[in-house]
Amino acid sequence: MNNSMLTITNLQKNFGSLRALDRVSLEVESDSIVGLIGPNGSGKTTLFNVVSGFYEKDGGEIYFKGERIDGLTPDKIAKKGLCRTFQVSKAPEKLTVLENMMLAAKSQIGENPFSAAFVRPRVHKSEEANLNRAMDLLEMLQLVDLGNAYAGDLSGGQKKLLSLGRVFMVDPDLILLDEPTAGVNLTLTMELLKVIRGLQKKEHKSFFIIEHSMKVISDICDKVYVLNFGRKMAEGTPEEIQQNKQVLEAYLSGA
Amino acid sequence: MPVINFLIYLLTMIGIYSLLAMSLNFQVGFTGLINFGQVAFFCIGAYTSSLLVVKAGAPIIIGFLGGIALSGLFGYIMSIPTKSLKSDYWAIATLASGEVVRLVALNEGWLTSGPFGVMSIPQPLGWLFSKDTYPLFYLLFVIACMVIVYLFLSLVTNSPFGRNLKAIRDEEELCLSLGKNTQNLKLQAMVVAGMVAGLAGALFAFYITYISPENFKPIETFLMWAMIIVGGTGNHFGAIVGAVVIQLFNVSTRFIGGYVPFSSDFMASLRMVIIGLLIILFLLYRPEGLAKEKKKVYDLKSRDAG
Repeated sequence: MNNSMLTITNLQKNFGSLRALDRVSLEVESDSIVGLIGPNGSGKTTLFNVVSGFYEKDGGEIYFKGERIDGLTPDKIAKKGLCRTFQVSKAPEKLTVLENMMLAAKSQIGENPFSAAFVRPRVHKSEEANLNRAMDLLEMLQLVDLGNAYAGDLSGGQKKLLSLGRVFMVDPDLILLDEPTAGVNLTLTMELLKVIRGLQKKEHKSFFIIEHSMKVISDICDKVYVLNFGRKMAEGTPEEIQQNKQVLEAYLSGA
Repeated sequence: MPVINFLIYLLTMIGIYSLLAMSLNFQVGFTGLINFGQVAFFCIGAYTSSLLVVKAGAPIIIGFLGGIALSGLFGYIMSIPTKSLKSDYWAIATLASGEVVRLVALNEGWLTSGPFGVMSIPQPLGWLFSKDTYPLFYLLFVIACMVIVYLFLSLVTNSPFGRNLKAIRDEEELCLSLGKNTQNLKLQAMVVAGMVAGLAGALFAFYITYISPENFKPIETFLMWAMIIVGGTGNHFGAIVGAVVIQLFNVSTRFIGGYVPFSSDFMASLRMVIIGLLIILFLLYRPEGLAKEKKKVYDLKSRDAG
């Protein structure tokens, strides 16, 4: 358990009579990149929603860095260092790309009306530092030129990139990415994978990634879990999973 | 000089309603909290400040502070159900809260004198001025309050706090996922908005020196909404512009009764019809209002130099 970033045991979630998650147990070790695959409707995003606190679980336990987090609200979980992105990117319409990035920085000065109005110099200083970091990240994501564009005006792929930038800006220990490369062009996808690898190697971040592209999975994941009909169907290295007959069948019959 | 007196009256009312519109805009335009009970703050600010002075004998400054504080507290109370109610259901609840406050003022006669209202509210620093110059002094006082609130709200919204509020307005779930306690942020926004509108209530009560539940009907909320729709949401200046336009129309048409062939009752109804039409036209053809929400633009070039 010491080496575990995220441990899920017997997690259960029902929607009416539908078992969206059926006693799922899995683990994300610290300093690792773990993939989560499965046919459409197999419960991947539901799992993310439960882990990040957006859905209430119906059974089981979730530990993050050895601490129980099920039952906490999403903002509390995020504050502890577990952040997620959304499958359909959320982009506050009337906030610019840079404002989106600045929004994400954690524990800022000036986040209540009193400090916002009366400790301006300190607010200004922290804003400047955050702006620098935001620009560095945008450069990496090739979004600098769009810094002053409204997030609502971005394309789907650009919104995906922005959501990555935002979550990096929060600087959490474990990042849950829901289809981070869907709608992003191939060159940039490769670039993103490098970035993710880099963050894991240099800053010891852990990632838990939902992905449909087997290429992406085998490129960066240390371990892969497969969900089917809300149940854990297989786990192993990307190579093992790619040769698993059951998994191949599930994907083929589903398609 | 009736014209000058009328002008001073008009400007004073514009100033007071600017505060109400800025407060409503802070909730609706910045935080996305659809408040249909805005008049409740106005009512609480007016009653609390005047009752503290008239009934409890407190100094006027205490009356003002009390009105602001209680109205802020009411903002806190109103923010509690945002936790469990979706925004549209919360909006309906606010509609009720506005009426509840007015009905309390109407029925709790032991405290508020019921339908008779609070009378002979003293004028702040009245002894310093003659009867002719006092309205001008009060106008300047109202404008000073308006400027201070405008600057204060500008600082508050042009900050990480303001950014959080706008993000709640556009994508609340995203804020949660980034670790923002959105409930707490909404609470703070409602308290600030309540205090601003409470100040407007106090200014109103000590200006007209007589208030009754009649002054705080739901139609007042409707007027404040008209102001932010016409003026532009998400922009403090827009709220002031809206207050100018709507009050100019609303107040001045009360005095053209002699020149039009309608009864005053008909005129009053017609006024609301026209304001309603104005709202529809703006929503259709200029939804951003007269003053658009400002975009925060960062200087991307200066970084290369540094």
